[in-house]
Amino acid sequence: MLMLRPSMLASFVWLGCLTAAFSIAVLLWFLWDNAWLFFQQFGIQTLWLDEWYPYENLYGFLPAITGTAWALLIALLIAIPCGLAAAIVSSEIVSSTWQAWIRLSMEVLAGIPSVVYGLIGLWLLLPLLQSQLNLLTGHSLLAAGLILSLMILPTIMLMAQDALQGVAPEQREAAKLLGLNWNQQLLRILLPQAWPGIRSGILLAVGRGLGETMAVMLVVGSLDRMPQPFYNILEPAQTLTSRIGREMGEAAFGSLHFSALMACGLILAIVAVFFSFSAQKMRPST
Amino acid sequence: MMQTNIDVKNTPKIHVQKDFLVVEQLSLQLENNPILNNISFSLPITGITTLIGPSGAGKSSLLRCLNMLYSTWGGEITIDKTSIKQWQAGEDNLRKFIGLIAQKPAIFPASIAENVTFGLPRKQRKQDTTTLIHDCLIQAALWDEVKDRLNQPAVSLSIGQQQRLCLARALALQPSILLLDEPTASLDPRSKQLIEISLRRLAKNMPILCVTHDLEQAKRLQGQLIFMCDGKIIETGESQELLQNPQKLETREFLRWEVCDCD
Repeated sequence: MLMLRPSMLASFVWLGCLTAAFSIAVLLWFLWDNAWLFFQQFGIQTLWLDEWYPYENLYGFLPAITGTAWALLIALLIAIPCGLAAAIVSSEIVSSTWQAWIRLSMEVLAGIPSVVYGLIGLWLLLPLLQSQLNLLTGHSLLAAGLILSLMILPTIMLMAQDALQGVAPEQREAAKLLGLNWNQQLLRILLPQAWPGIRSGILLAVGRGLGETMAVMLVVGSLDRMPQPFYNILEPAQTLTSRIGREMGEAAFGSLHFSALMACGLILAIVAVFFSFSAQKMRPST
Repeated sequence: MMQTNIDVKNTPKIHVQKDFLVVEQLSLQLENNPILNNISFSLPITGITTLIGPSGAGKSSLLRCLNMLYSTWGGEITIDKTSIKQWQAGEDNLRKFIGLIAQKPAIFPASIAENVTFGLPRKQRKQDTTTLIHDCLIQAALWDEVKDRLNQPAVSLSIGQQQRLCLARALALQPSILLLDEPTASLDPRSKQLIEISLRRLAKNMPILCVTHDLEQAKRLQGQLIFMCDGKIIETGESQELLQNPQKLETREFLRWEVCDCD
């Protein structure tokens, strides 16, 4: 058996940490370097313009930012309660056999490639929305949000389940000994004590939702304009990721269009890094 | 009086009688292993009853049966002739009525004051609980040590203080019976003494059943003593008498710190 000296092990750990930190720094630098041309010409105020038409040098980011925010919001509104409920049922109510099956199904759900979710959305969800809500095609922010919710559900559920199971049995018993019923135990002991882990799961899910490209691109409609009115989630729209995915092939390397798409990537990366760090910071100490 | 001030909805009225809690032919099996075998005893309306015996004798399991943490037992447990299985207000309410303090203190991540009132109904917690907190901490012999830092996190207390906080938390529910599972097992002599003082004081108003491995403590607590071994009650008697003149061989062997062989 391979035996490592503690100093060697520590060196490996440090090497891993430094590599990770270096990779993030290189990634951000690469995006910034390529987006610099765009920001140099248009400045940061372009983030708030609502027209995106690269052939006329119009680079408004607002529709894609709004679309990304809406899709993520819809996804979170569905996935948080569902994920939390599934975690509570799985860790507190059902037998260990069922618990294992629920966990396995969530892990399978987490492992399905995103393009498969996109195809499911394309062939199942869009026709359903089209027929039920009388939409032109079914492509919409609602479709993107629904698909995204399915994709981030396992992250929220699995993290919440781990957090709930991490609550010390002595705490549960102490609550029981004080005569608290199941609801009170859940609301006053389990959820508050598991909350740091649950919150961490939600933030990780936000990070995943922000970066999701393929599935969203297939169902969102990729229409570069603000929804009218802005809360109309039944209209086709655009997200930052689907814009990059759809247009990167058309943009000439080093062009302003290319640089604008890199700026989209930079915004996404900064927000995702922010959420990942927040999740890490909020992770409960064990 | 503790047993007359129960402010819990639907709690059945208790009429004082000599044998307040009666256990008859109590048996328990867990995963096909016999844990308790035909246990019968009773607790008087006041005073301390101490339960001693070797590890694995079923002492903790017995306490857990008494407040329905284990509910698959056979036999009968009655409080004032009311079977605890027929407790009208339900198991959760029964646990407010029979306070149990575990061996390892489990403190909630809240302030000292919030820990004391944790088990109270929300309506009661919203009211002014200053007097209640004061009284419970006094009874648990903890007031002097924490009176200036009631709003500080309870986890900052020492283990001995946490154990007394658990006692105060249980007392805040105004239980009519108090069960303690080795409450001083990991405490320093000073904390041990403080808990014993508060138990003796509390025992003037309610029955207390205390599991201990400490024979000196059993002697100090006085009252009734029950010796258990292999899930059975071997001998019962007044503590001083039983410790000095045990009648049964098993008890004598245990008191000589030898392994009990009940078969």
